[in-house]
Amino acid sequence: MWLGIWLAVAGLVLGVLLGLNIPLVLPQVYAKYLSVAALAALDSVFGGIRAAMEDQFDNTVFISGFFSNALLAAGLAFIGERLGIDLYLAAVVAFGVRLFQNLAIIRRYLFKKIK
Amino acid sequence: MKLSTYLSLGLVALVLGVLIVFQFRVTRHIEQGIPAGRAQELALELRQLEKDKSKLEAEANDLSLKLEQVTRGQTEAEKALKDELAKARLLAGLVSVTGPGIEVTLDNPPQQPGGGGAASLYVIRDEDLLRVINELRGAGAEALSINGQRIVAHSEIRWAAPFINVNLTRVVPPYHILAIGKPDNLKSALEIPGGLVEYLLDLGVQVKIQPYDRLTIPGYSRTTEFRYAKPVVKG
Repeated sequence: MWLGIWLAVAGLVLGVLLGLNIPLVLPQVYAKYLSVAALAALDSVFGGIRAAMEDQFDNTVFISGFFSNALLAAGLAFIGERLGIDLYLAAVVAFGVRLFQNLAIIRRYLFKKIK
Repeated sequence: MKLSTYLSLGLVALVLGVLIVFQFRVTRHIEQGIPAGRAQELALELRQLEKDKSKLEAEANDLSLKLEQVTRGQTEAEKALKDELAKARLLAGLVSVTGPGIEVTLDNPPQQPGGGGAASLYVIRDEDLLRVINELRGAGAEALSINGQRIVAHSEIRWAAPFINVNLTRVVPPYHILAIGKPDNLKSALEIPGGLVEYLLDLGVQVKIQPYDRLTIPGYSRTTEFRYAKPVVKG
Protein backbone atom coordinates (compact mmCIF):
# COMPACT_ATOMS: atom_id res chain seq x y z
CA MET A 1 0.00 0.00 0.00
CA TRP A 2 2.68 2.46 1.01
CA LEU A 3 4.89 1.38 -1.83
CA GLY A 4 2.03 2.10 -4.17
CA ILE A 5 1.58 5.59 -2.74
CA TRP A 6 5.27 6.36 -3.00
CA LEU A 7 5.35 5.06 -6.54
CA ALA A 8 2.38 7.25 -7.39
CA VAL A 9 4.06 10.31 -5.84
CA ALA A 10 7.30 9.54 -7.66
CA GLY A 11 5.41 9.16 -10.92
CA LEU A 12 3.63 12.45 -10.32
CA VAL A 13 6.89 14.29 -9.61
CA LEU A 14 8.48 12.73 -12.67
CA GLY A 15 5.49 13.75 -14.77
CA VAL A 16 5.62 17.30 -13.45
CA LEU A 17 9.32 17.55 -14.23
CA LEU A 18 8.74 16.04 -17.68
CA GLY A 19 5.90 18.44 -18.39
CA LEU A 20 7.95 21.42 -17.27
CA ASN A 21 10.90 20.45 -19.43
CA ILE A 22 9.06 19.68 -22.63
CA PRO A 23 9.64 22.81 -24.75
CA LEU A 24 6.29 22.30 -26.42
CA VAL A 25 3.43 24.64 -25.56
CA LEU A 26 0.01 23.51 -26.69
CA PRO A 27 -1.95 25.95 -28.81
CA GLN A 28 -4.55 27.81 -26.83
CA VAL A 29 -7.30 26.27 -28.92
CA TYR A 30 -6.63 22.87 -27.28
CA ALA A 31 -6.42 24.28 -23.75
CA LYS A 32 -10.08 23.55 -23.13
CA TYR A 33 -9.85 19.88 -24.15
CA LEU A 34 -6.73 19.39 -22.11
CA SER A 35 -8.31 20.91 -19.02
CA VAL A 36 -11.33 18.60 -19.23
CA ALA A 37 -9.07 15.62 -19.87
CA ALA A 38 -6.96 16.53 -16.84
CA LEU A 39 -10.09 16.78 -14.73
CA ALA A 40 -11.28 13.36 -15.93
CA ALA A 41 -7.88 11.85 -15.17
CA LEU A 42 -7.95 13.36 -11.71
CA ASP A 43 -11.40 11.86 -11.17
CA SER A 44 -10.14 8.46 -12.26
CA VAL A 45 -7.25 8.68 -9.83
CA PHE A 46 -9.56 9.52 -6.96
CA GLY A 47 -11.86 6.74 -8.04
CA GLY A 48 -8.90 4.38 -7.99
CA ILE A 49 -7.93 5.46 -4.49
CA ARG A 50 -11.48 4.91 -3.30
CA ALA A 51 -11.55 1.48 -4.90
CA ALA A 52 -8.30 0.64 -3.19
CA MET A 53 -9.78 1.74 0.12
CA GLU A 54 -12.77 -0.51 -0.48
CA ASP A 55 -10.45 -3.35 -1.51
CA GLN A 56 -12.15 -3.47 -4.88
CA PHE A 57 -9.22 -2.18 -6.89
CA ASP A 58 -8.96 -3.69 -10.37
CA ASN A 59 -5.98 -2.68 -12.40
CA THR A 60 -7.64 -3.12 -15.79
CA VAL A 61 -10.68 -1.11 -14.79
CA PHE A 62 -8.46 1.58 -13.36
CA ILE A 63 -6.23 1.95 -16.43
CA SER A 64 -9.04 1.71 -18.96
CA GLY A 65 -11.17 4.10 -16.93
CA PHE A 66 -8.35 6.58 -16.67
CA PHE A 67 -7.72 6.81 -20.40
CA SER A 68 -11.31 6.38 -21.58
CA ASN A 69 -12.53 9.06 -19.19
CA ALA A 70 -9.86 11.51 -20.33
CA LEU A 71 -10.49 10.79 -24.02
CA LEU A 72 -14.26 10.93 -23.62
CA ALA A 73 -14.07 14.24 -21.80
CA ALA A 74 -11.81 15.73 -24.46
CA GLY A 75 -14.03 14.29 -27.21
CA LEU A 76 -17.12 15.68 -25.54
CA ALA A 77 -15.54 19.11 -25.40
CA PHE A 78 -14.57 18.82 -29.06
CA ILE A 79 -18.06 17.77 -30.16
CA GLY A 80 -19.59 20.50 -28.03
CA GLU A 81 -17.35 23.00 -29.73
CA ARG A 82 -18.47 21.78 -33.15
CA LEU A 83 -22.15 21.82 -32.19
CA GLY A 84 -21.96 25.21 -30.57
CA ILE A 85 -22.93 23.83 -27.14
CA ASP A 86 -20.59 24.04 -24.18
CA LEU A 87 -20.69 20.25 -23.69
CA TYR A 88 -17.44 20.29 -21.78
CA LEU A 89 -19.46 21.83 -18.97
CA ALA A 90 -21.28 18.50 -18.69
CA ALA A 91 -17.94 16.74 -18.26
CA VAL A 92 -16.78 19.34 -15.75
CA VAL A 93 -19.95 19.01 -13.68
CA ALA A 94 -20.08 15.20 -13.84
CA PHE A 95 -16.43 14.70 -13.01
CA GLY A 96 -16.47 17.46 -10.43
CA VAL A 97 -19.42 15.89 -8.60
CA ARG A 98 -17.79 12.48 -8.71
CA LEU A 99 -14.52 13.97 -7.54
CA PHE A 100 -16.15 15.38 -4.44
CA GLN A 101 -18.11 12.22 -3.81
CA ASN A 102 -14.98 10.09 -4.03
CA LEU A 103 -13.17 12.51 -1.82
CA ALA A 104 -15.95 12.29 0.77
CA ILE A 105 -15.88 8.50 0.74
CA ILE A 106 -12.09 8.44 1.04
CA ARG A 107 -12.35 10.81 3.98
CA ARG A 108 -14.80 8.56 5.77
CA TYR A 109 -12.62 5.54 5.19
CA LEU A 110 -9.63 7.39 6.56
CA PHE A 111 -11.61 8.43 9.67
CA LYS A 112 -12.80 4.86 10.11
CA LYS A 113 -9.21 3.64 9.94
CA ILE A 114 -7.98 6.15 12.47
CA LYS A 115 -10.73 5.24 14.99
CA MET B 1 -0.34 -6.07 -5.00
CA LYS B 2 1.09 -7.20 -8.27
CA LEU B 3 3.89 -5.57 -10.19
CA SER B 4 1.61 -4.59 -13.03
CA THR B 5 -0.52 -2.63 -10.60
CA TYR B 6 2.47 -0.62 -9.46
CA LEU B 7 3.54 -0.06 -12.99
CA SER B 8 0.11 1.11 -14.03
CA LEU B 9 -0.09 3.31 -10.96
CA GLY B 10 3.22 4.92 -11.83
CA LEU B 11 2.21 5.37 -15.44
CA VAL B 12 -1.10 6.94 -14.52
CA ALA B 13 0.58 9.27 -12.04
CA LEU B 14 3.12 10.24 -14.73
CA VAL B 15 0.45 10.98 -17.30
CA LEU B 16 -1.57 12.92 -14.75
CA GLY B 17 1.45 14.98 -13.80
CA VAL B 18 2.22 15.76 -17.41
CA LEU B 19 -1.41 16.69 -18.10
CA ILE B 20 -1.70 18.98 -15.09
CA VAL B 21 1.61 20.74 -15.72
CA PHE B 22 0.77 21.16 -19.37
CA GLN B 23 -2.55 22.72 -18.51
CA PHE B 24 -0.82 24.90 -15.96
CA ARG B 25 1.62 26.18 -18.50
CA VAL B 26 -1.01 26.77 -21.14
CA THR B 27 -3.14 28.75 -18.70
CA ARG B 28 -0.18 30.82 -17.58
CA HIS B 29 0.72 31.38 -21.22
CA ILE B 30 -2.79 32.62 -21.93
CA GLU B 31 -2.64 34.99 -19.00
CA GLN B 32 0.68 36.37 -20.18
CA GLY B 33 -0.16 36.39 -23.84
CA ILE B 34 -2.95 37.92 -25.76
CA PRO B 35 -6.40 36.34 -25.61
CA ALA B 36 -7.63 34.93 -28.87
CA GLY B 37 -10.53 37.39 -29.04
CA ARG B 38 -8.24 40.31 -28.45
CA ALA B 39 -5.98 39.18 -31.28
CA GLN B 40 -8.95 39.01 -33.62
CA GLU B 41 -10.05 42.43 -32.50
CA LEU B 42 -6.60 43.83 -33.14
CA ALA B 43 -6.43 42.21 -36.54
CA LEU B 44 -9.76 43.77 -37.41
CA GLU B 45 -8.55 47.14 -36.17
CA LEU B 46 -5.35 46.77 -38.15
CA ARG B 47 -7.29 46.04 -41.30
CA GLN B 48 -9.53 49.02 -40.67
CA LEU B 49 -6.54 51.27 -40.06
CA GLU B 50 -4.83 50.02 -43.18
CA LYS B 51 -7.93 50.84 -45.15
CA ASP B 52 -8.03 54.29 -43.56
CA LYS B 53 -4.37 54.77 -44.30
CA SER B 54 -4.72 53.93 -47.98
CA LYS B 55 -7.72 56.24 -48.16
CA LEU B 56 -5.79 59.06 -46.54
CA GLU B 57 -2.84 58.44 -48.81
CA ALA B 58 -5.08 58.76 -51.83
CA GLU B 59 -6.48 61.96 -50.38
CA ALA B 60 -2.99 63.32 -49.75
CA ASN B 61 -2.01 62.56 -53.32
CA ASP B 62 -5.11 64.28 -54.57
CA LEU B 63 -4.48 67.33 -52.43
CA SER B 64 -0.83 67.63 -53.43
CA LEU B 65 -1.91 67.40 -57.04
CA LYS B 66 -4.39 70.20 -56.46
CA LEU B 67 -1.74 72.22 -54.67
CA GLU B 68 0.59 71.75 -57.60
CA GLN B 69 -2.12 72.89 -59.98
CA VAL B 70 -2.83 75.93 -57.84
CA THR B 71 0.85 76.80 -57.65
CA ARG B 72 1.15 76.43 -61.37
CA GLY B 73 -1.93 78.63 -61.81
CA GLN B 74 -0.42 81.20 -59.48
CA THR B 75 2.84 81.38 -61.40
CA GLU B 76 0.85 81.65 -64.60
CA ALA B 77 -1.19 84.48 -63.16
CA GLU B 78 1.98 86.17 -61.94
CA LYS B 79 3.51 85.84 -65.36
CA ALA B 80 0.35 87.23 -66.97
CA LEU B 81 0.41 90.15 -64.55
CA LYS B 82 4.05 90.84 -65.29
CA ASP B 83 3.36 90.69 -69.02
CA GLU B 84 0.47 93.04 -68.55
CA LEU B 85 2.63 95.40 -66.51
CA ALA B 86 5.38 95.35 -69.11
CA LYS B 87 2.81 96.07 -71.81
CA ALA B 88 1.36 98.93 -69.79
CA ARG B 89 4.81 100.40 -69.18
CA LEU B 90 5.59 100.14 -72.87
CA LEU B 91 2.30 101.79 -73.72
CA ALA B 92 2.93 104.58 -71.21
CA GLY B 93 6.39 105.19 -72.64
CA LEU B 94 8.21 104.48 -69.41
CA VAL B 95 10.72 102.08 -70.96
CA SER B 96 13.37 102.65 -73.58
CA VAL B 97 12.45 101.19 -76.91
CA THR B 98 14.46 100.29 -79.95
CA GLY B 99 13.61 99.52 -83.53
CA PRO B 100 13.71 100.85 -87.07
CA GLY B 101 12.74 104.46 -87.61
CA ILE B 102 13.82 107.87 -88.83
CA GLU B 103 15.57 110.86 -87.42
CA VAL B 104 14.26 114.27 -88.44
CA THR B 105 16.65 117.10 -87.81
CA LEU B 106 15.25 120.63 -87.88
CA ASP B 107 17.35 123.69 -87.51
CA ASN B 108 16.74 127.35 -87.73
CA PRO B 109 17.52 129.08 -90.99
CA PRO B 110 21.17 129.98 -91.24
CA GLN B 111 21.80 133.43 -89.94
CA GLN B 112 23.03 135.43 -92.86
CA PRO B 113 25.92 137.60 -91.89
CA GLY B 114 24.83 141.18 -91.78
CA GLY B 115 21.22 140.38 -91.29
CA GLY B 116 18.65 140.93 -93.98
CA GLY B 117 16.02 138.70 -95.56
CA ALA B 118 12.72 137.79 -94.02
CA ALA B 119 13.57 134.09 -94.13
CA SER B 120 16.48 134.58 -91.89
CA LEU B 121 14.26 136.04 -89.20
CA TYR B 122 12.22 132.90 -88.96
CA VAL B 123 12.83 130.57 -85.99
CA ILE B 124 11.24 127.23 -85.48
CA ARG B 125 8.23 127.53 -83.22
CA ASP B 126 6.42 125.03 -81.07
CA GLU B 127 3.69 124.69 -83.68
CA ASP B 128 6.20 123.40 -86.18
CA LEU B 129 7.41 120.71 -83.81
CA LEU B 130 3.84 119.85 -82.94
CA ARG B 131 2.93 119.48 -86.58
CA VAL B 132 5.92 117.23 -87.21
CA ILE B 133 5.04 115.10 -84.21
CA ASN B 134 1.42 114.99 -85.27
CA GLU B 135 2.34 114.00 -88.80
CA LEU B 136 4.66 111.27 -87.60
CA ARG B 137 1.96 109.93 -85.26
CA GLY B 138 -0.47 109.91 -88.11
CA ALA B 139 2.01 107.91 -90.16
CA GLY B 140 2.16 105.20 -87.50
CA ALA B 141 5.10 106.17 -85.33
CA GLU B 142 5.10 104.06 -82.20
CA ALA B 143 7.55 106.04 -80.12
CA LEU B 144 8.72 109.66 -80.47
CA SER B 145 11.24 111.88 -78.81
CA ILE B 146 12.58 115.41 -79.22
CA ASN B 147 16.18 115.90 -78.18
CA GLY B 148 15.99 112.90 -75.92
CA GLN B 149 12.66 113.88 -74.34
CA ARG B 150 10.21 111.10 -74.82
CA ILE B 151 6.81 112.22 -76.05
CA VAL B 152 4.18 110.52 -73.88
CA ALA B 153 0.46 111.02 -73.43
CA HIS B 154 0.83 114.08 -71.24
CA SER B 155 3.94 115.61 -72.76
CA GLU B 156 3.71 119.24 -73.71
CA ILE B 157 5.48 121.09 -76.50
CA ARG B 158 5.20 124.67 -75.51
CA TRP B 159 6.65 127.98 -76.53
CA ALA B 160 8.24 129.51 -73.48
CA ALA B 161 10.00 132.38 -75.19
CA PRO B 162 12.63 132.24 -76.36
CA PHE B 163 12.79 128.48 -75.84
CA ILE B 164 10.60 125.51 -76.41
CA ASN B 165 9.77 123.33 -73.43
CA VAL B 166 9.24 119.64 -73.86
CA ASN B 167 8.39 117.70 -70.72
CA LEU B 168 9.20 120.89 -68.78
CA THR B 169 12.72 120.72 -70.19
CA ARG B 170 14.19 123.31 -72.47
CA VAL B 171 15.15 122.05 -75.87
CA VAL B 172 17.37 124.06 -78.15
CA PRO B 173 18.02 123.89 -81.89
CA PRO B 174 18.93 121.80 -83.72
CA TYR B 175 15.91 119.67 -82.93
CA HIS B 176 16.43 115.97 -83.34
CA ILE B 177 13.12 114.20 -83.61
CA LEU B 178 13.36 110.43 -83.37
CA ALA B 179 10.46 108.24 -84.44
CA ILE B 180 10.18 104.47 -84.40
CA GLY B 181 7.92 103.05 -87.05
CA LYS B 182 8.15 101.93 -90.65
CA PRO B 183 10.86 104.30 -92.01
CA ASP B 184 9.39 104.51 -95.53
CA ASN B 185 5.93 105.39 -94.25
CA LEU B 186 7.23 108.01 -91.88
CA LYS B 187 9.51 109.55 -94.48
CA SER B 188 6.90 109.69 -97.21
CA ALA B 189 4.33 111.17 -94.83
CA LEU B 190 6.62 114.10 -94.22
CA GLU B 191 7.89 114.48 -97.78
CA ILE B 192 4.53 114.30 -99.52
CA PRO B 193 4.35 117.08 -102.14
CA GLY B 194 2.74 120.14 -100.59
CA GLY B 195 3.38 118.56 -97.22
CA LEU B 196 5.11 119.61 -94.09
CA VAL B 197 8.71 119.37 -95.23
CA GLU B 198 8.00 121.46 -98.28
CA TYR B 199 6.30 124.05 -96.12
CA LEU B 200 9.19 124.16 -93.69
CA LEU B 201 11.74 124.36 -96.46
CA ASP B 202 9.80 127.25 -97.89
CA LEU B 203 10.19 128.96 -94.56
CA GLY B 204 13.94 128.44 -94.78
CA VAL B 205 14.14 125.79 -92.06
CA GLN B 206 16.88 123.24 -92.53
CA VAL B 207 15.28 119.82 -92.64
CA LYS B 208 17.12 116.55 -92.77
CA ILE B 209 15.48 113.15 -92.70
CA GLN B 210 17.60 110.10 -92.04
CA PRO B 211 16.15 106.56 -91.91
CA TYR B 212 17.74 104.09 -89.52
CA ASP B 213 17.48 100.33 -89.27
CA ARG B 214 17.80 100.58 -85.58
CA LEU B 215 17.56 103.47 -83.18
CA THR B 216 16.84 103.72 -79.49
CA ILE B 217 14.41 106.11 -77.86
CA PRO B 218 14.78 106.64 -74.10
CA GLY B 219 11.90 106.17 -71.73
CA TYR B 220 10.00 108.95 -69.99
CA SER B 221 12.21 109.80 -67.05
CA ARG B 222 9.97 111.93 -64.82
CA THR B 223 7.71 110.38 -62.28
CA THR B 224 4.09 110.90 -63.01
CA GLU B 225 1.75 111.46 -60.17
CA PHE B 226 -1.97 111.78 -60.53
CA ARG B 227 -2.99 114.14 -57.80
CA TYR B 228 -6.44 115.04 -59.05
CA ALA B 229 -7.44 112.38 -61.48
CA LYS B 230 -8.75 109.26 -59.85
CA PRO B 231 -9.92 106.19 -61.67
CA VAL B 232 -13.69 105.72 -61.76
CA VAL B 233 -14.72 102.52 -60.06
CA LYS B 234 -17.49 100.92 -62.01
CA GLY B 235 -20.30 99.00 -60.37
